[in-house]
Amino acid sequence: MARMKFLLDAERCIECNACVTACKNEHEVPWGINRRRVVTINDGKPGERSISMACMHCTDAPCAAVCPVSCFYTTADAVVLHDKDLCIGCGYCFYACPFGAPQYPRLGNFGSRGKMDKCTFCAGGPQADNTQAEYIQYGSNRLAEGKLPLCAEMCSTKALLAGDGQIIASIYRERVQRRGYGTGAWGWRTAYRETVAI
Amino acid sequence: MLIKRTDGKAAKQRLASAYQGLSAGGLDRRAFLRQAGLGGAGLAALGAIPLSTMRPAEAGPMDHSKPVQRVKNICTHCSVGCTVIAEVQNGVWVGQEPAWESPINRGTHCAKGASVRELVHGDRRIKYPMKLVNGQWQRMSWDNAMTEIADKLMETRQKSGPDATFWLGSAKFSNEGAYLYRKFAAFWGTNNVDHQARICHSTTVAGVANTWGYGAQTNSYNDIRNSKTMIIMGGNPAEAHPVSLQHVLSGKEQNRANLIVIDPRFTRTAAHANEYVRIRPGTDIPIIWGMLHHIFANGWEDKEFIRQRVHGMDEIRAECAKWNPAEVERVTGVPGAQLRKVAEMFATQKPATLIWCMGATQKTVGTANVRAFSILLLATGNVGADGTGANIFRGHCNVQGATDFGLDVTTLPAYYGLDANAWRHWSRVWDVSYESMVARFDTPALMGTPGIPTTRYFDAVTLPKDQVQQRDNLKAMVVFGHGGNTVTRMPEAVKGLEALDLLVVADPHPTTFAVLANRKENTYLLPICTQFECTGSRTASNRSVQWGEQVVKPIFESKNDYEAMYRLAGALDKAAEKRNMPIRFQADLFKGIEVKGQEPVAESILREINRGAISTGYTGQSPERLKAHMANQDKFDLVTLRAKADAPAEIKGDFYGLPWPCWGTPEMRHPGTHILYNTNLHVKEGGGTFRARFGVERNGVTLLAEGSYSKGSEITDGYPEFTTAVMQRLGWDAEYTEAERASLARQGGTASWATDLSMGIIRITMEHGVMAYGNAKARAVAWNLPDPVPVHREPIYTPRTDLIAQYPTLPDRRGFRLPHLGQTVQNRSHQVAPNFPIILSSGRLVEYEGGGEETRSNKWLAELQQDMFVEINPRDAAARNIRDGAWVLVSGPEMPAGKATRMKALVTERVGPGVAWMPFHFAGWFMQEDQRSKYPQGTDPIVLGESVNAVTTYGYDPVTFMQETKVTLCQIRAA
Amino acid sequence: MKLRILALLAALLMGAAAPAIAQTAPRAPSVAEEMEVQALLRGGSIQGRITIPDEKAATLIQPEGREWREFHNITLAWVGGIAVLGMLAILLVFRMTKGRIPIEGGPSGRTIQRFNTLERANHWMVASCFIILALSGLNLTFGRHILLPIVGPEAFTAISQWGKYAHNFLAFPFTLGLVVMLLIWLKDNIPNGRDIAWFKAGGGLIGNEHLEAGRFNGGQKMVFWITVLGGAVVAVSGYLLVFPFFFTGMEGMQLSHIIHSLLSVLMIAAMLAHIYIGSVGMDGAFDAMGTGQVDLNWAKQHHGLWVQEELAKGRAAAPPPGAKASGAD
Repeated sequence: MARMKFLLDAERCIECNACVTACKNEHEVPWGINRRRVVTINDGKPGERSISMACMHCTDAPCAAVCPVSCFYTTADAVVLHDKDLCIGCGYCFYACPFGAPQYPRLGNFGSRGKMDKCTFCAGGPQADNTQAEYIQYGSNRLAEGKLPLCAEMCSTKALLAGDGQIIASIYRERVQRRGYGTGAWGWRTAYRETVAI
Repeated sequence: MLIKRTDGKAAKQRLASAYQGLSAGGLDRRAFLRQAGLGGAGLAALGAIPLSTMRPAEAGPMDHSKPVQRVKNICTHCSVGCTVIAEVQNGVWVGQEPAWESPINRGTHCAKGASVRELVHGDRRIKYPMKLVNGQWQRMSWDNAMTEIADKLMETRQKSGPDATFWLGSAKFSNEGAYLYRKFAAFWGTNNVDHQARICHSTTVAGVANTWGYGAQTNSYNDIRNSKTMIIMGGNPAEAHPVSLQHVLSGKEQNRANLIVIDPRFTRTAAHANEYVRIRPGTDIPIIWGMLHHIFANGWEDKEFIRQRVHGMDEIRAECAKWNPAEVERVTGVPGAQLRKVAEMFATQKPATLIWCMGATQKTVGTANVRAFSILLLATGNVGADGTGANIFRGHCNVQGATDFGLDVTTLPAYYGLDANAWRHWSRVWDVSYESMVARFDTPALMGTPGIPTTRYFDAVTLPKDQVQQRDNLKAMVVFGHGGNTVTRMPEAVKGLEALDLLVVADPHPTTFAVLANRKENTYLLPICTQFECTGSRTASNRSVQWGEQVVKPIFESKNDYEAMYRLAGALDKAAEKRNMPIRFQADLFKGIEVKGQEPVAESILREINRGAISTGYTGQSPERLKAHMANQDKFDLVTLRAKADAPAEIKGDFYGLPWPCWGTPEMRHPGTHILYNTNLHVKEGGGTFRARFGVERNGVTLLAEGSYSKGSEITDGYPEFTTAVMQRLGWDAEYTEAERASLARQGGTASWATDLSMGIIRITMEHGVMAYGNAKARAVAWNLPDPVPVHREPIYTPRTDLIAQYPTLPDRRGFRLPHLGQTVQNRSHQVAPNFPIILSSGRLVEYEGGGEETRSNKWLAELQQDMFVEINPRDAAARNIRDGAWVLVSGPEMPAGKATRMKALVTERVGPGVAWMPFHFAGWFMQEDQRSKYPQGTDPIVLGESVNAVTTYGYDPVTFMQETKVTLCQIRAA
Repeated sequence: MKLRILALLAALLMGAAAPAIAQTAPRAPSVAEEMEVQALLRGGSIQGRITIPDEKAATLIQPEGREWREFHNITLAWVGGIAVLGMLAILLVFRMTKGRIPIEGGPSGRTIQRFNTLERANHWMVASCFIILALSGLNLTFGRHILLPIVGPEAFTAISQWGKYAHNFLAFPFTLGLVVMLLIWLKDNIPNGRDIAWFKAGGGLIGNEHLEAGRFNGGQKMVFWITVLGGAVVAVSGYLLVFPFFFTGMEGMQLSHIIHSLLSVLMIAAMLAHIYIGSVGMDGAFDAMGTGQVDLNWAKQHHGLWVQEELAKGRAAAPPPGAKASGAD
C-alpha cells in the first residue's frame, strides 16, 4: 500500500493559488473554508518564499490523537480522514494541528462551530466511494478513481507533489540534485518526523 | 479503527440531506444556485418572456454511473494558452481534469484556470438583453434590442457619419470573432475599431515589428527551457502568466540558468530570481543603455551577428557611450557593479532571452523601450535561435490573435495597413469590389487614416469638434468584451460616456462601462457567452493557434460573438431600409461564410482567414489541421514543440499549434514557425530571416542581410521581398502552376508575395529555400519613429524634476486624429511633485484578470482578494501613520479637487521607498461612491473596489497612444 | 488503480526528465528544515502573509500544537485522573477508617435555620450546573476511553454533542450563581485567625480537638474561595473558548484550554470532597442545603460561634407573634 504524502517545493511555488481554487472547484468548498491555502513568508524581502499548505496527513496525526470523539481514521493509503457525522465541532484538532488544517463553518452565534472540514487528499469520506452523499459532505473521491489530489495535479509549476511518499521524495531529490539548491520540503519534519535525504 | 464504511450509506444519505442548502455547512452548490442564481436575478423582470427560454445554469457533482464527455478548450484568461479539459454530463459542465497531454501547460493551471468552470455557471452573468429606461435596467428580447440598437446606429451614421461610432472589440474574441469584428467595422466604413492590445502590447508590436519585421514573441514559453540567462524586465509572470513559470523555473533548474528580474517592485517573480535589480520606475532605457555601455566597453557584443544581420548599431553605440555607470546610477538608482554583472551574464552566458510585459510597454516611451530591448538582443546575438529571443508575454487569451486580425485603428487584418493595396487585397478576399468599400467610408482619405484608439475615445467625444479630425465627434460606442476601468483618466472617461448618444455593451458581464457613468437612456447590455460556450481558434502568446470546442451551449439567453454580429448586421440592413439609406451589410459581410441558422460557422470564417492572411502566415492553419493538433497534443515535444516520430502522419513534423507564420496553403504542410528569424532551419521547416520591410538600402548602406541566410537557401545573401516582378527576374515564374497563373491573372497579373492569393510565390520561394518576405537586417535605427534611436525621456509625471530639462518628454503633437500633449503636461511636474510625492505604478494580481469584472464575479477567485489595496513601503507608511491593513485615501494630480479613492494599505517592502503600487482589476467604487446598486440586479461582481485608473493620469506613447499606467504621481494619507 | 497513480506520478516526473547534469552536493541542511527546527526550538510559529481575511491562516506551522497535544493527552489525563481518582480514593480510605462523622451527642431534635431559600436555590443551581459542566468536561477528556467503547461511536457523539451544548449554555447560569454566592457569602468567608487553627488541627477530622468556627469554618471557606476564585478563572478561560479566536489568537486559545481544564479537574476533585462531606460523610450536614434547617447539636459541634451569634440575635429580637419555642409541642 502506498503511503500518501504532500510535498511542497518552495523553490517552485509562486503563490498562484491554483491549488486553492482547484480544491474549491473540485469539492465545491464554500467561502470561509480553506482546505488549502498559500502562505508567503518574508513577503517582499530577499528570501521570500510561498508555501502551499493543507492537511499533511501526518504520521501519528495530532488531530486524531486529541479528538474527544475519536472521529478520525486513517485509510490504507495512510490518508487521515474524519467522519463528519461523529465530529462535534469542538475545535481541539485545530489547536493541535501544526498546519492549521481543520476548518469550521461558523454556524451559530457562539460555540456552535459546525462540523470540522479539512483536506481529504481527494479521498472522500466514510461513505461508499463517489456517491452523492459522500460528495455533499466531503467532496469528490479522486483516489477511488485512481487519480491524485487535484491541487497537486494542477499546480502551475509542479511545486506541489502528491502521491506515495517514496516516489514524490525521489522526484524531489532528483530535482534538488539537478538544480544544486533547495529549500527543503516544508512541513515534512513536523508531519512525518522525517526529512528528504538528499 | 474506522475504515471505509459502506454499509452506513442509507443512514448517511438521510443525514446528508440535512446539509443541503447550508452553504457553510455542506458542500451543495445547487442549493446555492437556487438561492443566488435565477431566483435572485430579477424574477420581477421576467415578465412576458416564458421561463422556458432561459437555460438555467446548473452545476453539481458528477453522477459516476452515467457517461462523461470530455471536451477540450483553451483557458480564457492569459495568453499562455493552457488547455482546459471539461467533463460534461447531460449538457452540464460538471468537472475539470488536468490536460496532461498539452505541451504548454501539461495539466497545470493557475488560480484562474483552475476555476474557469465557474464562468459558465454564471451566477452573475447577464442573463438577457437589457436597456436603461430612465436609469433603470429593463429586460428586452434580442430582436427588440437589435432593432433599437441598429436604428440608433443608423441615425448616428446619418447625422455624423460612420466615424462617429467607435467599435471596441476584444482580446477575448476567438480569432474568428476578432476577424469578423474587424471586417464588420470595415463594412461599417470606419477605422475606429480597437481592442485591448492598445493598452497591452501595442508598443511591443510597433517596436518589435519596426525592428525585425513581425510584432510578436519570437520564441515560446517552452523554448525558455533552453535559455542559460533569462532577464525578466517589466513583467511579473508569476502572477500574470503563472504557468509560464513552469518553463522558466524548469529551465532555471535544469540549465542552472541565471534568472534576473529587473523591476521597480520585488514581485513574486523576483522572489525566484538569482539577481534582483530594483530600478526607479520609468528608467528602462537608461538601464538597457547602461548594460550595453558595459557590453560595448568590454567587447561582449556579437560582432559577427551585428555585421551580418543588424543595421545601424554604431548609432546605438554612440548613444550608449553617454550612459556611463555614474549617470545610470544617478537616473535609475542602480549601482554600476550590479548592472555590469547583469550585462556580462546576458552577453556571455548564452543563449539569453529577454522577457517583458506591460512594465515596458505601458509608458509614454513604450515603443522606445521595446526598441531598446530588441537592440540589446540584437547586440548580443540573442535572436533567432533556441533559448534566445524576445519572449514577450502577451496579456489576454487571444490578444495576439485579435491583434493579428486587425482589431486595431491602424491596419486591416494581418498587418496589411490601411493603404489602397491593403484595401484592394482584402476586397478581393471578401469578394467585394474595392469601390464598394470606398463608398462605405465618409471620405477615401479617412479610409486610409488611422482611427481613434481606445485610450482616447472619451477625448474624441468631449473635445471641441474642430480638434477631432473627422466629420464629427464620437457619438456612439459599441463595446464587445472590454472592461471600462482599464483605461487611464477615468474621471474624464465618465464625462465622455455621459455625452455619448448610444452605448452598447456586449459581454458576459455588465462591465464597468454599464455602471461608471450616470447614463439614464440609450444604454444596452447584450449577453454574450464565454469562449467555453463557443467554438473557434485562439492564438497563444507564442503564436501557436489552438482550437477550442464548445463545452456547453450558451447559458441563459446569451449568444456567441458570431451570432451577435450576424444579427446586428441583419438589423442594420432593416434600419437602413427604413431610413432609405442605400447601404447594406449582412449579405456582403457574410458572403462566402457558412451560416447555420443565425450563427456563422467558425470553421468557415477560419477558412476565409486562411485565404487572406498571407502576410502573417495565417494560411496553413486550417480547421482540420488545428483539430488534429488538439487531438494529438501528447505527440508534441515539450521543448521543441515539434511532433515526435510516433505522431500520426497528418501532424508529423508540425510545430504545436502551427505557430504563425505557417506559410502557404494547408496542403503545403508548412510546419509553422516555432522560433522566428531562425536561420538554422530551412524555411520549409520553420526557418526564417529578418523581414525586408523597409527597403533595400538607406543613405547608400544596404538594409539587406550580408552573408546570412536561412538553411538551404539558394540565395546565399540578403534579398528583398518577393513580387511577381522579382519572380520574373529570377526566372522562377516558370514554376507557377496553371491554377496559380490563373489566379494571378485574375488579380491583374502583378502581386507581391503577401497579396498573391494563389500563394504561388510563397510555394516556389519555399522550394528554393528562400523567404518570400525577403532577407534583411534588423533595424537598430528605426528612422520612421519619433526617436529613431531610443533616448531616455523622463516620465510625464516625474518626481525627479531635476532631470526634466536634460531628458524632456516629446513636445506637444497630434496623432490618431487627436491632439497629444507632451511637454505642456510634463512641465506641470514642478508644481505637482511637491504635493504628490509618491510614484504610483500598477499591475496584475494572479487571481484577477483585466478589468476584473469576470474574475471578481467568480466566487472562488473573489474569496482570495476581497479588497482593493495599495502597496506602500514601510518608510512611507510610518511617515503617514498608516498601519498594514488600514484604510487609506489615495489622490492623484488629475483627480477633481477634494476627491480621493479609498482602499486598504498593504505595508510591504515589495515596493521601494517613494513608490506605491496598485492592482488594476478593481472597479465598482468610484472616488468613494459605491456603485453596486447601479448594476442590473444579480449581476454585480462579488468584489468591488476603487479603480487605479481613477488616479492615473495623462500620458501617451507617440507611436501607438499607449497609455501611461506605470509611472504617475499620487499622495496617500490615512483614512 | 495503483497503476494509474504510478502513471500520473510518472507524468509529474517528466518535469524533471532532462539531460543529466553532473551532480553536486546541494547546500545542507535545507532552509525549510532549518526554519522549522528553529521555530520548534524557539517554540514559535512560522508566520507569513496571506490574502484571505482569516488571520489564523497566516500561520504556516505552529509547533505549539504539539505541546498542546502533549498537555491534553498526557498531562491533563494524568492530572485529572490522579486528582479525581485520588480524591475518591482518599475519601474511601477516610470513610473506611473514620466512618461517617456523627453528631456529637446525637441529634438534639431542635433545628436552627442555616441557609435561607435564596442561598439554597443558588447553591443548587450552581451545583447542578457544575455537575453537568464537570461531567461533560470530563467526557471530552476521558469519554473517548471510557464511554465510547461502551455506547458506540454514534451514541457517544450524540452524548458529546449534547454535552457540548450543555457545557456552553450552562456556563452562563453557573457564572451568575458564582456572582450571587460571592455577594451573599463573602462577609462570612473572610479568613481569620481561627481558620489557621482550624487548618492546623486538620479540620478536626484528625484527632479529636474541638474547634471553634463561625458560620463557615476554614474548610468551608476554602471551598468557597476555590469555588469563587477557581470558578472565576475557569469561567473567564471558558468564555475565551466559547468565543473561539474572538478575543485571542492560537496561543491564547491553547493557554485558555490548559488553564480551564487543569483548574477544572482540580475543582472537580475539591468538589468531590465537598459533596462527600456534605452528604454521606457527615451526619446532619446535608440538611443545611436540604431543608436549610440544621440540628442544633450539629451546629454547635461545627459552628459554635455562629450558633452563639444566632442565638444572641434571637434573644435580642422579639419573637414573632405566635411563635412557639421549638419542641414546645
